[in-house]
Amino acid sequence: MGAERSRASRTAAALLAAAFALPLAALVVRAFADEWRAPAVVPQQFGLRGVHEAFSSMSLEAFGNSLLVAGLTLAAALALGWPAARVLGERRLRHPALIFGLLALPLLVPSYATGTGLTEWFLRFGLADSLLALVLAHLVLVLPYVVVVLLAGFGPALRDLEEMGDVHGLSRPARLWLVTLPAVRPTLAAAALVGFLVSWSEYGSSLAVGGGRPMLPLVLLPFVGSDPEVAAALSLLFLLPAVAALVAATHAAREPL
Amino acid sequence: MLFGGALAGALRTSLQPLGGPVSLQTWRELLADPAFGQALGFTAGIAGLATAASAILALVIALVLRRHGGALRALLALPVPVPHLLVAVVAVLWLAPGGLAERLLGVLPVDLVHDRAGLGIVAVYVYKETPFLVLLLLAAAGRGLAQREEMAAALGVSRAQRLRWVIWPALRGPLVVGSIVVAAFVLGAFEVPQVVGPTSPLTVAEYARQATENDLIGGEGLRAAALLVSAAAAIALAALAVRLAKDVDGR
Repeated sequence: MGAERSRASRTAAALLAAAFALPLAALVVRAFADEWRAPAVVPQQFGLRGVHEAFSSMSLEAFGNSLLVAGLTLAAALALGWPAARVLGERRLRHPALIFGLLALPLLVPSYATGTGLTEWFLRFGLADSLLALVLAHLVLVLPYVVVVLLAGFGPALRDLEEMGDVHGLSRPARLWLVTLPAVRPTLAAAALVGFLVSWSEYGSSLAVGGGRPMLPLVLLPFVGSDPEVAAALSLLFLLPAVAALVAATHAAREPL
Repeated sequence: MLFGGALAGALRTSLQPLGGPVSLQTWRELLADPAFGQALGFTAGIAGLATAASAILALVIALVLRRHGGALRALLALPVPVPHLLVAVVAVLWLAPGGLAERLLGVLPVDLVHDRAGLGIVAVYVYKETPFLVLLLLAAAGRGLAQREEMAAALGVSRAQRLRWVIWPALRGPLVVGSIVVAAFVLGAFEVPQVVGPTSPLTVAEYARQATENDLIGGEGLRAAALLVSAAAAIALAALAVRLAKDVDGR
């Protein structure tokens, strides 16, 4: 009875997991299908037309822009988020709930709204349509995620480890390198992954402040209705850095101190 | 500071769309527009349905998966790093007329792409957000929950009682927080409605985007005002959800 129930539960879990994973696989087939007319379940002709289009100069420029903005945003978010998360994680604030609430607010407000509001200031300060404007607009959304994930890595356990490092005469840079960073590595990796993914997939604020600068989500969208093969190929290009970031973060999170 | 500046900038744009004197004209125009009322109702309906369906499904899946290992969890987690826009592309591929689902099944019982009820939008969000909520719940459950459950079982506590008094209190918090994030996202995002949603009614975010498409200069104020309404709705919803979650257990 027990074994039967366990088998049924395992089957149900596997079916559920497959139901979520399988639809994505069709994207790969569509990207290489030059001809796939209904009602055929299998493409009539495979080819590389979609891939060639996905690697056109405009798409590659958009890919580079998205990657650059996501990288710069993530670097800024980690640099600003680290001290904030440390203070919150070590409960050094008198009213942490208030600060936490304020910090979480950008997660609740549509990114298109923050982008629209920021455009007003960027125009005044001569930053409109610049790369810096895009990074700042993305930072508003990425920073809360990075802080929320990072603060799980800070607390009494890390402080004890750092004190042990002090007792053994480690300098501050050595302590950071040999104790703090290895200890928070899984959390840091998770924060970096989430931050990268949020910026990489961001659509609303890129549209609001980008000033027509090609970004991958903006370039992809018009193809969805007009050319599914190119849309699928661009989707794979869009997916690639996200998967690479996931693999890198999973690898970095192994064997913390 | 950036976020506060953004909200102040949006408010200023809505009150002085062309840089002239402060006026409530844009807000009057927005609130008098029946299309905006429709968009508000449509967006609230989609956000409510998508969030509720994702939360219920996530709870069921987390309860099924909590005793299963890494491979199944990894498979289920696949949609998490996938951008929303890509999930919308996948939805069109499968669910559009003549799409893969129709080719495999012969016919689909309901229209899910560009349907007036917005069921396609809901389906995309449920597919994308359920795994995210499941991961939150499984992280909250951890090993400690399994141990507490075993202890309760050893003390003769029934399955239903364990669910009510051991499992639910551990999962309620992350479920509420995750659902707030999901609802807020659905209220404000427009790439998914743009790809799989109907041309009428629009979501609030789409209404805002089209305001500037129809009138590049004057539409700025309308866009900012409409987006501020959805921002206020998201914040009010979050406050209400936190309040309700506290009231349930009185803490």
